[in-house]
Amino acid sequence: MAFKPSKSKRNLGKEEGTLNMNSMMDMMTIILLFLLKSFSTEGALVTPSQQLRLPVSTAAEKAKKQVSVSIAKDALLVNDEPLISTNEIPKDQMLIPALAMKLSDYAKQERDLEVEVGKVFNHEIIIEGDEKIPFELLFKVMFTCSKSDFYKMRLLTIKKG
Amino acid sequence: MAFKPSLRSNNEEVDMELDIRPVMNLMVVLIPLLIASAEWVKLSIIEINVPPAKTAGVGSGESDQQQVKEKQLHLGLKIAIAHEGITIGNAVALLAGDNAEGPTVGLTADGKYDFAKLREKLIELKKKVLGKGFVDENRAVITASADIPYQTIIDVMDNLQTYKDAEGNVKPLFPEINFSKIMD
Repeated sequence: MAFKPSKSKRNLGKEEGTLNMNSMMDMMTIILLFLLKSFSTEGALVTPSQQLRLPVSTAAEKAKKQVSVSIAKDALLVNDEPLISTNEIPKDQMLIPALAMKLSDYAKQERDLEVEVGKVFNHEIIIEGDEKIPFELLFKVMFTCSKSDFYKMRLLTIKKG
Repeated sequence: MAFKPSLRSNNEEVDMELDIRPVMNLMVVLIPLLIASAEWVKLSIIEINVPPAKTAGVGSGESDQQQVKEKQLHLGLKIAIAHEGITIGNAVALLAGDNAEGPTVGLTADGKYDFAKLREKLIELKKKVLGKGFVDENRAVITASADIPYQTIIDVMDNLQTYKDAEGNVKPLFPEINFSKIMD
């Protein structure tokens, strides 16, 4: 014998319900506020890699986009273009000739810009060094920078905390 | 005669809910956008202003300047980082550490540099130097052994920036940093 359809369950499926989105809205608002706080229009200055881990510092000065020299574990880069490998850096002299030439080119470009469009050449250069590079290498790069007319050096670091 | 309340105005209370779907749509668009442009790693810079490299061919005005410079008091503070510890000194004298021999600030028990003690010594030194009329009272020259890692140098520089005086004001310690190299 077939069962008789239950009278009390007849209207069960037709009931209209609404999704309660209040808590979701709260969550979204908090996420939105957090993201607005960490909003930056400057974009990434560096792309992290195994070969280039920036040292950690408490310095508070904000970084700006400039000509940059990166000293990775195995290579030297100028504006993210590989220049020479660290093995090719001369051991017995302070100046790194390849870097000096490249930087002189940039200095010349900047000077031309200063003459043509009035963009002031501020002699600033960003040095992105791996946390493990020896002082000697850092010093050679800094020496070369100052010889090539970029004497205001900014050491890029990751802010602590 | 008072009017009888109108039967027609007896409206039912309307149960209305705010339509938040447009706001949700906006959120769904905004959140990925902001995630993409958020700065996850905060970068900062340490400024080092080296005097411009001297060009060959010294002008005649140079010697006068040189004479003026000689009359000014120079501190010439140097901080040398070696593997055994950090030595503070200048051309005339070295700051003595706990032991008569060896670096001013030695290593801690677990073989790390003792930055807390370095700070202590430097603040002590700064208080002595302050107001004596040294032209380079904010300047320090860092030098290090050839194979000292970059992170150590940054750590030393962090400790050279500021200190708090007795009233709790933040004062510059030796923020103008230069580098030099020991010639071997």
